[in-house]
Amino acid sequence: MGVPAFFRWLSRKYPSIIVHCLEEKAKEYNGVKIPVDTSKPNPNEVEFDNLYLDMNGIIHPCTHPEDKPAPKNEDEMMVAIFEYIDRLFNIVRPRRVLYMAIDGVAPRAKMNQQRSRRFRASKEGVELAEEKQKMREEVIERGGYLPPEEIKERFDSNCITPGTEFMDNLAKCLRYYVADRLTNDPGWRNITVFLSDASVPGEGEHKIMDYIRRQRGQPNHDPNTHHCLCGADADLIMLGLATHEPNFTIIREEFKPNKPRPCALCSQMGHEIKDCQGLPREKQGEHDEFADTIPVSEQEFIFIRLAVLREYLERELTMASLPFPFSFERSVDDWVFMCFFVGNDFLPHLPSLEIREGAIDRLVGIYKDVVHKTGGYLTENGFVNLERVELIMQAVGVAEDNIFKKRKEDDESFKRRMKDKKKRMKAEQRPSFLPGGQFAPHALGGRDRPMAVQNARHAAFEMRMQGNQRNQDAAQSLRAMMRNGKGSAESSGSMDNRGVKRKADDSDSEPEPEDNVRLWEDGWKQRYYKTKFDVDATDDEFRKKVVQSYVEGLCWVLRYYYQGCASWKWYFPFHYAPFASDFKDIKGMFSDFEKGTKPFKPLEQLMGVFPAASGNFLPTTWRALMSDPESSIIDFYPDDFAIDLNGKKYAWQGVALLPFVDERRLRAALAEVYNDLTPEEVRRNSLGSDVMFVGRSHALCDFIQELYRAESHTATEIPAEFCHGIQGILNLDEDPILPDKLVESPIPVLRDISSNCAIGIKFKDPQYADGFVFKAVILPGAKIPNKVLKPGDWEQSNRGPWRPQLGFNPNRQQAHLDQSAFRKLNHHVGRSDGPGIYGSGPPSDAHRRGGAYSSAPPPTNYHQGNYRPPQRDHYSQSQSQYSRQPHMNTGSYPRFQQGSHGWDRAMQNQGSSYQQNQQRGRGDWRPQQNQQGFNSGRGYGLPPASRRYNWN
Amino acid sequence: MAARRGEDIVSEFLSQNPHLVSWVESLRGHCETNKQWYARREFVLRNMEAFPTIQPGSPSSSLDRLLSLSMVWANHVFLGCRYPQRVMDKINEMAEGITVIEAPERKTRDEIMGKLKRPAVSAADADYQGKKTKPNEPDDRAHSKCVVHPATSSHKCGPSPGAPAEHQPFFNRLYKAVAWKLVSAGGFGPNLEHFEILRSCVESCKASLTCVFVPLKDIPDLPAGRTQREGQVCELRCCTVYMGTGYGRDESAARAMASKEALKVFQGQKVTVKISRRRFRGRDVDDLVLLDEQSRSQAFPPALSCPFQEDE
Repeated sequence: MGVPAFFRWLSRKYPSIIVHCLEEKAKEYNGVKIPVDTSKPNPNEVEFDNLYLDMNGIIHPCTHPEDKPAPKNEDEMMVAIFEYIDRLFNIVRPRRVLYMAIDGVAPRAKMNQQRSRRFRASKEGVELAEEKQKMREEVIERGGYLPPEEIKERFDSNCITPGTEFMDNLAKCLRYYVADRLTNDPGWRNITVFLSDASVPGEGEHKIMDYIRRQRGQPNHDPNTHHCLCGADADLIMLGLATHEPNFTIIREEFKPNKPRPCALCSQMGHEIKDCQGLPREKQGEHDEFADTIPVSEQEFIFIRLAVLREYLERELTMASLPFPFSFERSVDDWVFMCFFVGNDFLPHLPSLEIREGAIDRLVGIYKDVVHKTGGYLTENGFVNLERVELIMQAVGVAEDNIFKKRKEDDESFKRRMKDKKKRMKAEQRPSFLPGGQFAPHALGGRDRPMAVQNARHAAFEMRMQGNQRNQDAAQSLRAMMRNGKGSAESSGSMDNRGVKRKADDSDSEPEPEDNVRLWEDGWKQRYYKTKFDVDATDDEFRKKVVQSYVEGLCWVLRYYYQGCASWKWYFPFHYAPFASDFKDIKGMFSDFEKGTKPFKPLEQLMGVFPAASGNFLPTTWRALMSDPESSIIDFYPDDFAIDLNGKKYAWQGVALLPFVDERRLRAALAEVYNDLTPEEVRRNSLGSDVMFVGRSHALCDFIQELYRAESHTATEIPAEFCHGIQGILNLDEDPILPDKLVESPIPVLRDISSNCAIGIKFKDPQYADGFVFKAVILPGAKIPNKVLKPGDWEQSNRGPWRPQLGFNPNRQQAHLDQSAFRKLNHHVGRSDGPGIYGSGPPSDAHRRGGAYSSAPPPTNYHQGNYRPPQRDHYSQSQSQYSRQPHMNTGSYPRFQQGSHGWDRAMQNQGSSYQQNQQRGRGDWRPQQNQQGFNSGRGYGLPPASRRYNWN
Repeated sequence: MAARRGEDIVSEFLSQNPHLVSWVESLRGHCETNKQWYARREFVLRNMEAFPTIQPGSPSSSLDRLLSLSMVWANHVFLGCRYPQRVMDKINEMAEGITVIEAPERKTRDEIMGKLKRPAVSAADADYQGKKTKPNEPDDRAHSKCVVHPATSSHKCGPSPGAPAEHQPFFNRLYKAVAWKLVSAGGFGPNLEHFEILRSCVESCKASLTCVFVPLKDIPDLPAGRTQREGQVCELRCCTVYMGTGYGRDESAARAMASKEALKVFQGQKVTVKISRRRFRGRDVDDLVLLDEQSRSQAFPPALSCPFQEDE
C-alpha cells in the first residue's frame, strides 16, 4: 500500500522493528578510491542469503531526485543507479541471490491508480512550467540574476514505464552492470543474480514474491533462508509477513521529513520558487571553487526486522479460550487482511477507517471480540471466508456513526487549538514602553557589573524627546481617525444603511472546502451516495453492486499477496468505497475470477495509463487515438478532470474523477493500428523473460556453459545441489553474456569488459499446476529466530537486569570505558548533529500518547558510524577466516558502552511513563505533534548524568 | 418535466422498435447508474442515424465511435471531465435536446486551487480592506484589471471611456464558462441554482461576485404604479460591471433572481460591456453594464450602487 501514513504508524507502534544500518565506507589513498571488500563479514553482524531489489524505488531517485540537482543525461542516471545498487550490496552483502525486479506491466486493478497519478502529474507539470516562466520574467524585470535557462527539457518520469526506450536501455545497462560486478567484485563471486526487467509482466515487488513463493513450494528450498528486501512501500511489510519465512528483513531509506530542496529557478538552497529574488550566488571558497558542490547529506538506511514485528503481533493477537485451535500464523494472515481495509493501491479505503485515527487498532479490537463467534479465521492461504468477514464489517458498521461524529469533534478541537496558539504567539510581544540605552534593564546576576549612570540629565532629555515624537505621531493618528469617523458617520447617516456591499461568501475563518456530505450529521449515508455516486440511498440494487465489487476486490487483493495475480483483468469500477454497514449478505457475492486472463502488452498499458499529453512515448497513429475527435476511445483521455476533495484539504489528497478504460474498445481500436509498429516497437511491446547470471566460480557456470555449447534449446531444470536448493527452468538467451566474450559498455564513460567472467541465461520460476495453492505456513525445518523483545513478566522473575539486543547479534560483547575514553567520546559527540529519528529512540512526544504502545518498553538502537565488535555472530555463512585488530576500532567502542548506560536509564524512565500513559488513556494523533516528534532527534552527552536521558 | 419528455421519447422509440431493446441494454456499463444510463441511452439513440454503418447487434468501429462520444458526453456531465474543444463542440451538437436534471457539480483542480487561494474576508473586513488598498491601486496590476481608476476630473464620476474594452476579455471568458456550465447542468431552466452556477463560473475565471442588498422601500425611483413595499432587492456586479437586479422576499431569494437575470444575458450569441445611463438616487449616472446582442428598449432598474463615485 502506497500509504506513507501506514509505515509511520507501524514504526511508532512497534519501534523495535527498526535497526539502523552500519555501512562500511570506501577508503581513499592518494586520491584512489579503494572499494569495500563485500566478501568480508557483514558489519551489521548478520549474514543475509538473498537480497531483493524493488528497482522502481531506485530508478526514480536516481533519474529525477527531489533533493538535489538531476543528472545531466541518461548515462549519468545509469551510473547513479549502479552506485545506488553498490551501496545496498555493500550494506546487505547477500551470499546467495541478488534479485533485481523492475516493474513490468501491472494488473488492471492497479491501472486506476496509475492513471490517476499520470494524469495529475501531466497537469501539474504544465502548471509548474508556466509558474517558472512567470517567476523568471518577474525576477529579470526586477534586475535579478538567474542562470541561463537550460535548453534541455525536463526529464519526463513517464518514461519509467514498460515499453519505453528508456526502460529498454536500462535493461541493457543492468546486464552490463551485472557482468562487470560478477567479473570484478569479489563479493559477487559466488552469488546468483536474477534480473526481471520491465518486459516481464508484474509489479516489481510482486515478481519478487512470486519467486519466493515458488521456491518455497519446492522440496529443496532452504526454510532458513535469510531474506532482505529493499523498497520503500509499506506494501513490502505485508508481503514479507505473507511469506511466513521466519528470517525476513526489509531495508529502506530512513524517512526524514522536511528535507530542503533547491529552488527550481536558480538552483540555490534556502527558498522556494515563489520567493526567488534572483540574488547572485554567494562565493563558495576563496575563488568560488566549491560553487557546484551542494552539501550532500547522504541518505541513511534502516532495516525493518519482520521477525520482531511478528513478536509484537504475537503478543497482540494471542487469544486464550478460543472455540477453535489458536494458530499464530493464521492470525498474522488475518491481521494483514484487515490492514487492507485501511489502505491499498487497488481499492479506495472505507470512509470510516482512517489510519491516522487508529483504524487498525480499532479493527484488531473488533476482530478479537468477534472472532469468538466466527467459528474460525477470516482467511486461509489468501482466500477469504466472506461469511466471517461480514461479522467484522457489521461490527465496524455499528460504530460508524460514532466514528464520524468523533472525527468532526477532533477536527474542530484541533482547529481551536491552532487558533489559540496563533493568538498566544501574537500576544507575546514586548511591553509598549521599555527604556533603552543605559537605562535598559539588565538581568540579575549577569557577569558584567551594572555601569554607573553617566550624563543622566542629557539621556533623560533625549528619552523625553523621543517620547514626544511618539506622542505627536499618536496625535496625528487620532486626528485622522476622528476625520474618517466623521466622514463615515455622515455617509452612514445619509445612506441610512443603503448600499451595503456584501461578498458572495461570508466567512470569518480560513477557507474550508465545502463538504456536502457532512458525515457527522444524520443522513450521512444518503448524502454520501447522492454526492459520490449520484444515486438515492433507496437504490439498493446499485449499492449492492458497489459492495459486490468491493468484496471481489478484497478477495483479489489478498490473493494477489498470497498466491499471485488471480486476474489480470479485474478492477474496481467505482471511485468510492461503500460503508462497512453496507456489507450484508456477502457470502454468495463472490465465487472465482475469470480464468486465463492475460496482462496487457507494454504499449497497450501506455494507452491505458497515459494522458494525451504524454503520448510522445507511443507511435504516431496510436497517439492520434488519444486526441482525434473521430477516435473510438477518445473518452479515455480528458484534458481536464474534476477532483473531489472527499473531506481532505488539499487537491493532491483528493479523488481524481477519471473515466475508466473500456478494455474491449481499447483492444478493438488498437487492432487497427497494430500494423504501424516498427520492428523495434514490436520488440519493446513483447513480453520477455527473467534472466539469470552467475560468475565463473559458481557451480552452475559450467553447467550453463555446456547448455550453450550443446545449443540445447529444450527447457532444462536447474540441478538443486548446484544452487542452494534454488530451482527453476533455463532456456538459452538469444543475445547472451558469455565468459571470455567481450561485453560492450552501453555507457561511454565506462569500460568494456574484455575478460568477462559472467554467464547469463533465461530463467523461469518453477511452474505449478493450475489451482495449486501455496501454503501460508512456517515450513518444516524452519528455526524461529531468538526473541528480541523483553518478556512482559521479566521484572517478576528476578533474573537480573534485562540486556537488550541491539541490532542483529544477541551475543555482542560489552566494553568498558576509562576516563580518557569518556573525554574522547564527549569531544566526538559534541560535534554531532545527533542521530536520525530512530537512532535516538522514540520521538519525545510519541510516548505521551496512551494506548498506542505494546506493554513492553522497546529497546532502541544506538548504533552509529562504523562500529564493529569483534564477535562474529552465529548467522555467518562465510568460510573465510575473520580476523581484525582491535585497536583499529578503539574509537568506536565508547558509543556502545554509553548507549548501554543510556538505555538502562531510559528504560526506567519509560517504564514510569508508560504507567502514567495507561492512566491517561488513549490520545489522538495530530499532524502537528507528529512533525514535532519527527524532528526531535538529539545527541548524546556524558553518562551518567541523568537529565541527559530524560525522555519527557 | 424535460427529463420525462426525453424518457417518453425513448420509450416511444423503443416501443416502435422492440427488436432494439435487448441490444441497446447490452451497451450499458455494468456499473452505470440508472440516471447516467438513461441519459446516455438517449444520446446514443438520438445520434444513431448519423452513423449509417451501425448495424444493431454487431460490433463495428462506427458503433465504438458513437459509444465513445456518448461516454465523452456522460463523463463531462456526470464526472466533470473536459475534452479538447473540437470534441466538446461535437458532443454539444449531438446532445442538443437532452436534459439532465440535477447533474452532479464537479470542480477541477484549478477551480479548487483558485478557490482556496482567494482570501476570504468578512463583510466588515472587506470594506476596510477595500479602503485600504485604494491608495495602492497603481502598484497592483492584477487588481487594476478589475478596478477602474477613479475619474481624473473631480466634477465628473463614472467609468472611464476605456473601461468597456478593458473588461470585455474577461466577460468573453466568463461567457464561455457559463455556456459550458449550463450545458453540464442540463441547460438553462427554472430549477437551476442560478446563483451557485454564476458564482462558480465567476470564480473559475479568478474573480468574484459582489452583491448589494437594499430594502425595496428605500429605493426612490420605483415605477409609480408599484404598491408593494416589502422585500429585498439585490444587485449583482463583477469587477464593477453591472449584471442583474432581482427582487425577492429575502436576500437569498433576491440574489437568486438577480442571478437568473444575469444568466439570461448569457443566453445570446455574445455579451458586451457598455456604458449606459441609469438612475441612481434620483439622478442619471453612467454605469458599466453587461448586455447581450439584442438591444433592449426597456430601461434598466435603478442602480443600487455606483462603484465609480468618489468618496464624499
